[in-house]
Amino acid sequence: MMTVRYDRFRARRRAAACGLAVLVLGAAVGTAQDVTVTKPGAEKSAIDVSGMTVPASDAGNTFRATLAADLKRSGWFTIAPRGTGPLAVDGVMRPDGDGFLVDCGAVHRGAGRSYFRRQFTGRDARRLAHAVADEIVREVKGVAGIASTRVAMVGAHGTRKDLYLCDIDGANLTRITSQGAVCLSPNWWPDAGALLYTSFHGGFPDVYRIDLRTRRRSKIAGFPGLNAGADVSPDGRSIALALSRDGNPELYVMDVRSRRLTRLTRWTRSSEASPSWSPDGARIVFVSDRTGRPQLYVLDRRGREPERISFGGRECVAPDWGPDGRIVYSRRMGGGRYQLCILEPGSRHTVQLTSGAADYEDPSWAPDGRHIVCVRTVNYRSDLYLLDTMGDAPVRLTTWDGDWYSPAWSPK
Amino acid sequence: MRRRSVMLRLSTLVMLCALAGAGCRRAPRAADTDPFLDDDILSPHELGGDPGSYRLGSRTEDGIPVTGVQFDNVQFAYDSFQIANSEIPTIDAVGQYLQENPDVRLVLEGHCDERGSREYNMSLGEYRALAVRAHLIGVCKIDGARIQTRSYGEEQPLDPGHNESAWRLNRRVEFALFR
Repeated sequence: MMTVRYDRFRARRRAAACGLAVLVLGAAVGTAQDVTVTKPGAEKSAIDVSGMTVPASDAGNTFRATLAADLKRSGWFTIAPRGTGPLAVDGVMRPDGDGFLVDCGAVHRGAGRSYFRRQFTGRDARRLAHAVADEIVREVKGVAGIASTRVAMVGAHGTRKDLYLCDIDGANLTRITSQGAVCLSPNWWPDAGALLYTSFHGGFPDVYRIDLRTRRRSKIAGFPGLNAGADVSPDGRSIALALSRDGNPELYVMDVRSRRLTRLTRWTRSSEASPSWSPDGARIVFVSDRTGRPQLYVLDRRGREPERISFGGRECVAPDWGPDGRIVYSRRMGGGRYQLCILEPGSRHTVQLTSGAADYEDPSWAPDGRHIVCVRTVNYRSDLYLLDTMGDAPVRLTTWDGDWYSPAWSPK
Repeated sequence: MRRRSVMLRLSTLVMLCALAGAGCRRAPRAADTDPFLDDDILSPHELGGDPGSYRLGSRTEDGIPVTGVQFDNVQFAYDSFQIANSEIPTIDAVGQYLQENPDVRLVLEGHCDERGSREYNMSLGEYRALAVRAHLIGVCKIDGARIQTRSYGEEQPLDPGHNESAWRLNRRVEFALFR
């Protein structure tokens, strides 16, 4: 695969270094970072959204601004000045009962082609805009959108470590645990309606499921010793997790309906952790320190001997198997910082995504297979960043007090 | 915060001198060797077997914490669950105490320093606790049903600092005694 050094922003900053423009640009970029383009072909299309008629109200303005921001964040579009650009959105947003109705479509002006025309209803102007933006990305670009997605994460304030959720644009930050017990490693249920996580609520590290609608919590695994790192299979039928009940940390699969356990690894002189399912649910990538250092291994559910897939680096940890089959993980070379790498499991071709003087850890793929949310730590302060593997500048997601880590991007 | 005091070290040594030849078989070695040299690491065989050979018993309620006795933490090298020779006297002292107090139960609490993946550190902390458990069962002949493990990963550092001495202190197994 071709890799292109992404240094457009650095070049621009250099060019503008003596001008006032650098201040504006610097603010827009946020932080100076180096991110390598790992997936070429991110041609942006200019789209004109001025044909969208909205009520002269806060809700109307919120809808319009959110739609434009969502389209830009998708990575596939730039917003064209009124009346220009090959693509256009037109339609109307009007009050409907105690909410709104949006009737809109997207067209290609030159080709005279209509991509879609649809009606959306809802009470919340932001959510309506997210739904419209995702429809535009899906119909025009043929890929999953991220505007309606959310991020689950852990927020630490002193010794308090709770689970939180926020929308992908940083709105609607919500704390979802308040037990005062340390929470760890949230992962999404495939329908995005529940989370699995590890908590010390009962004194020991146990795995819980919390329904995000009812906020009801149920214990999934509370065996003697360690219960951690749970990840649900894409079909929602199985949970991979690390348990130490048989004497040392090994990987198991639990059948969701029967709660029956199947042991996957039998490496009694090492610890295993961090399972993540392949998109087809046939394989699991995980971490084992059987060589003395944590590295990535892949096993299939038939129980064949796991195969090591990471080689460079002193530590290879925190893998997340993405929707397009690529694995993102965090790697540390001897004495260096943690950097994100993307690995194609078939060829084992690996590209380092980040570089520079920060630690990048705990990556999680977006459902578009293009964006990644991860922890960026500088001077022992951790925040979540959205990275684009196709070249857009990183965006800081968490702009609040505290440390933020263990992000999980919702599957939809 | 620091539990490793000179007094405790002395008390452990005094106790071990008194125990020499009795209780756990392994005689204490001089504690001044660097605990984390590779050639000082004991093999699983010397330690009483793989942790994997000792299944965890069912969880018991913590009970009432035992007061009046405190043991040094067992310390570890970075990224390692291997028990260094220098840490054996500490574990043996706990084994002796458990033999003399058959109503006391133990939770081994495994911890890591803040570096590395949180999820991997949960497993590493657990393995550290299980390695100590294997020694207590295999060498000190304590009934495994009396010993539970609890990994805190990197979530509960003893020293909140971000430097080598803090990290060294935070890579540990603590002994929580109950009856």
